[in-house]
Amino acid sequence: MEYEEAKQLIVDGLTKKQKVKSKFYFNDLAKIIDMKPREAKKLINQLVQEGVLEYWSSGSTSMYGLKGTGKQAHAEHED
Amino acid sequence: MAFISSGYNPDKPMEDRITDIGPRKYDEFYPPVIAKNKGTWLYHEYLQPGVFVHVAESGDEVYTVRCGGARLMSVTHIREICEIADKHCGGYLRFTTRNNIEFMVDGKDKVQPLIDDLESRKFDAGSFKFPIGGTGAGISNIVHTQGWLHCHTPATDASGPVKAVMDVLFDEFKNHRMPAHVRVSLACCLNMCGAVHCSDIAILGYHRKPPLLDHEYLDKMCEIPLAIASCPTAAIKPSKVELPDGKKVNSVAINNDRCMFCGNCYTMCPSLPLADTEGDGIVLMAGGKVSNRVSAPKFSKVVVAFIPNEAPRWPTTCDVIQKMVEVYAGEARKYERLGEWAERIGWERFFEKCELEFTHHLIDDFRDPAYYTWRQTSQFKF
Amino acid sequence: MKHEIPMLDQLESGPWPSFVSDLKQEAERRAKNPDNIEYQIPVDVVEDILGVLELSFKHGRTHWKHGGIVGVFGYGGGVIGRYCDQPEMFPGVAHFHTMRIAQPGGKFYTTEHLRRITDLWDFRGSGITNMHGSTGDIIFLGTTTKQLEEIFYELTHNIGQDLGGSGSNLRTPADCIGQARCEYACYDTQDLCYDLTMEYQDELHRPAFPYKFKFKFDGCPNGCVASIARADMSFIGTWKDDIKIDQEAVQAYIGGEFVPNAGAHSGRDWGAFDIQKEVIDLCPTECMWMDGKELKIDNRECTRCMHCINVMPRALRIGDERGLSIFAGAKAPILDGAQLGSLIVPFIKAEAPYTEIKENVIEPIWDWWMEEGKNRERLGELMKRQGLQKLLEMANFEPDPRMVQEPRTNPYIFWKEEEVEGGWERDINEFRKHHQR
Repeated sequence: MEYEEAKQLIVDGLTKKQKVKSKFYFNDLAKIIDMKPREAKKLINQLVQEGVLEYWSSGSTSMYGLKGTGKQAHAEHED
Repeated sequence: MAFISSGYNPDKPMEDRITDIGPRKYDEFYPPVIAKNKGTWLYHEYLQPGVFVHVAESGDEVYTVRCGGARLMSVTHIREICEIADKHCGGYLRFTTRNNIEFMVDGKDKVQPLIDDLESRKFDAGSFKFPIGGTGAGISNIVHTQGWLHCHTPATDASGPVKAVMDVLFDEFKNHRMPAHVRVSLACCLNMCGAVHCSDIAILGYHRKPPLLDHEYLDKMCEIPLAIASCPTAAIKPSKVELPDGKKVNSVAINNDRCMFCGNCYTMCPSLPLADTEGDGIVLMAGGKVSNRVSAPKFSKVVVAFIPNEAPRWPTTCDVIQKMVEVYAGEARKYERLGEWAERIGWERFFEKCELEFTHHLIDDFRDPAYYTWRQTSQFKF
Repeated sequence: MKHEIPMLDQLESGPWPSFVSDLKQEAERRAKNPDNIEYQIPVDVVEDILGVLELSFKHGRTHWKHGGIVGVFGYGGGVIGRYCDQPEMFPGVAHFHTMRIAQPGGKFYTTEHLRRITDLWDFRGSGITNMHGSTGDIIFLGTTTKQLEEIFYELTHNIGQDLGGSGSNLRTPADCIGQARCEYACYDTQDLCYDLTMEYQDELHRPAFPYKFKFKFDGCPNGCVASIARADMSFIGTWKDDIKIDQEAVQAYIGGEFVPNAGAHSGRDWGAFDIQKEVIDLCPTECMWMDGKELKIDNRECTRCMHCINVMPRALRIGDERGLSIFAGAKAPILDGAQLGSLIVPFIKAEAPYTEIKENVIEPIWDWWMEEGKNRERLGELMKRQGLQKLLEMANFEPDPRMVQEPRTNPYIFWKEEEVEGGWERDINEFRKHHQR
């Protein structure tokens, strides 16, 4: 899959769910672009690199979200 | 306090960025005697507790002096360690998995000056900076987690109980008079970011109350689906709550009977705090090991279901541990680990000898493994 | 001192090194600032650490909150966000994030390197560390958000040093002292640890796993880094051939010239060394005996528990055909109970560049776990859910009786259709020719 196509799918997919939640597991993203996790990783990393996605970490687990979305930023005083 | 840039440009984070370089390579930091003799060591011997020699095929010797360290360490303290290593060890040192500091020298004549120097250094209030010991059939340093000093889900402190327990066990740290080595570990909540579940003695922080619900703020601070998903036992569900002023808000409800007090929901949602003065305290476990020596590795077993947090010195926790260590030291055979001893005499005897009460909390009722801990034989002791 | 800390003061007495005394000396040094450091976070940060800890001692409750957003750009791990829940009382630690710094193998340091690390942390952080954290990293305890990138930049540019792992990543691998200073080490733990750490930097920094994943490297079955208890993949050194015996040294132990167990029991009078009682009778496989003055070992029956070697290190040495065993799935209790690592590879050579370990063991297991693992499911839990057979199938390993303690006690084998002669599709009419309805 091309980067631009994956980006569109992920941005659309996550935007649709914004009302419910803003943070997603890696495998949720891999499913959206219908790829195996190890192949999806490159594209998802690139989305982070370009500032489309950002990480959220519980310390033990990591999640992904569209940059700047969600209530955590405010709760963590990082907005 | 003027801001000084490192050279990093926040507008162009990728400019000149270096990533994925890992740690520095191990062999850059080997003392010469280690670099020369790596892989050709013949044998080792303890000269006294905390002091040992390794002899290589070449005939070279490396003498190591091991000191206990509070793993919580200031840069001032680290600089003092560096000063000692520069003075005696050619500028090399290492740390052990159990937070000890090891100073190595390549000749026997260099050992005593190093020992004298280390033992002379005390903090102003009187505790040793570098107590020598932690080897052989003794009690080494406690591995532990962050506790109240830095963690958001601890049920007890870490550095505090460790200091209190090590003060009580200090003579054993400096001695070789146990039947085998005794490994003590502390994790300040059941998530065990320091895995303590295979220790001779494990000190574990445990919460006993489900989280508080800050209904008024919950939906503002947290994403409810994420809070729900964070629960490992699916005890959280969405709910609508009417606040005292009649306003209806979205929040969550907790099935208290399913809560295992892990704090994962608090990690995800600051409106679900679970720390509690009376609810929180310590579980003591005993009899685990990780080595394959004689018997297979084994888990620690819960021997005291709950001890309150008694800051600043956790006296009950210290007393129970001291008693277990004393009884074990007096009764176990040479080379026998605490868990091997308890299994040989039977756990019913262990409780009797250590004067510990056996309560229903100590019978496993958590999922599949529980059955395998019940007794299915007529062989037991009165 | 800004805050009264009567409870913490009580932890200054007693012989064990007092972290309170250490924090106090650091607080004083920062206040005096003899080296004129342009501190990049509040000067009184250590006083506030003591203050907030005293408050926790008083309340019996923590005063920290978690934060998940902060980090350095492009990395999903290495930084843990921390905020104080009493920021007005303790402004110095209002934002107080942890950084994990990848430790060198065997935790060997030169003072030169250690000083550069401490100078950086003094300047841009609290000056308080853990040497080391539970996983193995150096822990920098407390700095502000703005300093994270600055510290990372200086670490990578000036000190040649990267962050460690946290979150759903490969965690910073850790090793025992190994061949560097131990005669028991059956492979070079530091080299394998470093090699895999460098090979999998991407996995370490950019989370794409269902949960955390740990590698730990023990050089021998004594297990000094506890890999079998805590590593999703545990590498334990072992050997296949004979224990090497020096019969003269055996006699030296029997004669009392050498102290048993390298002098580890020196603090107590256990009586004269008795090789029968202390070595031969404790051998779990009863594969040793004395033949006159000769110690004999039936090496085929030996399970390499290390006891005899530990007791007589000058007489007995590990064999020469060395390698390692691999165990999978260890974890702490949450959620389904604690698990020790289960044997998946009885023996494999550990020689650089370790291609077989990477391509035939690690990567197929990661592929399986990444595809099949549920969110926040450790490898050990997936193994329990889908079975050890599934792991063997996915990694293409041959089943081996060494992998189990005993065969199954129930006959409920889920046969696959292709394993059963003729398959499962049958003609009912053909059956009815011989069996009435």
